[in-house]
Amino acid sequence: MKMKLDSFELRTKNEFDMINITERVHKFVEESGVNEGMVYVMTAHTTTSIIVNESLPCLETDIEEKLEEMVPKDAQYAHNHFLPSYGATGGNCPGHLKSMLCNYFAYFPVKDGKVVRGRAQEIYFAEFDGIQDRTVYMQVVGE
Amino acid sequence: MVIDVHTHAEFMEPMYKGDEVTRQRKEIMGREFLGYSDISMALFQMDHAGIDKRVLLPLDLTTQYGCTIVSNDEMKKLVGEAPERFIGFASVDPYREDAIKELDHAFGELGLSGLKLNPSKQKFYPTDSIMKPVYEKCIEYGKPILFHCGTSWEPNTPAKYSKPLCFEEVAIEYPELRIGLAHFGWPWVQDTAMMLLKYPNVYADTSMLYCDRAKDFFHQIFKVDLSPLWIENMFSDKVMFGSNSPRFGEEDMKYGLEKLGLRERTLAKVLGGNAMKFLGMED
Repeated sequence: MKMKLDSFELRTKNEFDMINITERVHKFVEESGVNEGMVYVMTAHTTTSIIVNESLPCLETDIEEKLEEMVPKDAQYAHNHFLPSYGATGGNCPGHLKSMLCNYFAYFPVKDGKVVRGRAQEIYFAEFDGIQDRTVYMQVVGE
Repeated sequence: MVIDVHTHAEFMEPMYKGDEVTRQRKEIMGREFLGYSDISMALFQMDHAGIDKRVLLPLDLTTQYGCTIVSNDEMKKLVGEAPERFIGFASVDPYREDAIKELDHAFGELGLSGLKLNPSKQKFYPTDSIMKPVYEKCIEYGKPILFHCGTSWEPNTPAKYSKPLCFEEVAIEYPELRIGLAHFGWPWVQDTAMMLLKYPNVYADTSMLYCDRAKDFFHQIFKVDLSPLWIENMFSDKVMFGSNSPRFGEEDMKYGLEKLGLRERTLAKVLGGNAMKFLGMED
């Protein structure tokens, strides 16, 4: 069995940002030498997500607006207080909750050396607490 | 012009190297888990937040800790990375035997724009006699002093050195010295209000966020703890936008001020006009 772990960095451009990373995952799998198996894509952060959805600007807008409606920026959150371990005030609770709603990883089968996914399934890195530099991990496992 | 008068330089590359110096600086400043940003990220964040310039602050802790939190020479180099966007302050430990020589170097040779002092961390009272030549040197060069004022989260920082009224006799004795009280002297905001009201040479920055989010905290300070009209009618020429970035988010702090419902011209003064006066950028 083969197992390979890799990562890449992203710089997000807004507080909310969706970056299509599908091609990077494909390239990683195709260069891994794994023909049959599975690949996991995981964000390293708790105010971001890995989202799988159709790549349409209208859907990206709907995702952003619905998440904001569910977890509004200006609401009262218990996280909004001074955090001694950081020496800073927590002001990004909406990012944490959106991350929880959208999940932190995605999984895909690998067959014949390629990622198996539906025609409309694009892989996004979603930022909910930008602007920041972020890390995404990918791990492929198989034969 | 939007100016953030209170940001910390030690978390920007090339100051943040992830080495022993970085570890020591994080420990001393009580910021263990905070990350860093490189210059391009800092500029991108400023652009996104609509901030034209940042004042970068160092701190000289030579006698207390045997180090600086960004030296004056390092500050000069950092400003050189983006001279149109960064305004570099100097710092000097007043207990250093060569304190005045270092100030001459910082102002005269390096061209730094003001002085940052933290009486609680550097362990002096603003009225100590050792401060007299420091104040006189700032007046000689026409440079302002931004004093840490009020509470500090950093370890080993007794508030007794930095309450707003500790600076009153300095304001009286040196009326030509421009004095900035950082963090609005929180939690002694009423005392800071008195200082702003009484002394033309005293300013205060908004770099306070110890509870809540910025929007809620600023509402509490400027609309509840102080009368809602005071910032409009009494302090509109005295309050300066400061974020204390990276401890508090620069964009969120600015958003909190924008949500106070100030008159447009008052908000413009708070976000930059008053800083220009304090920094001596006006003709």
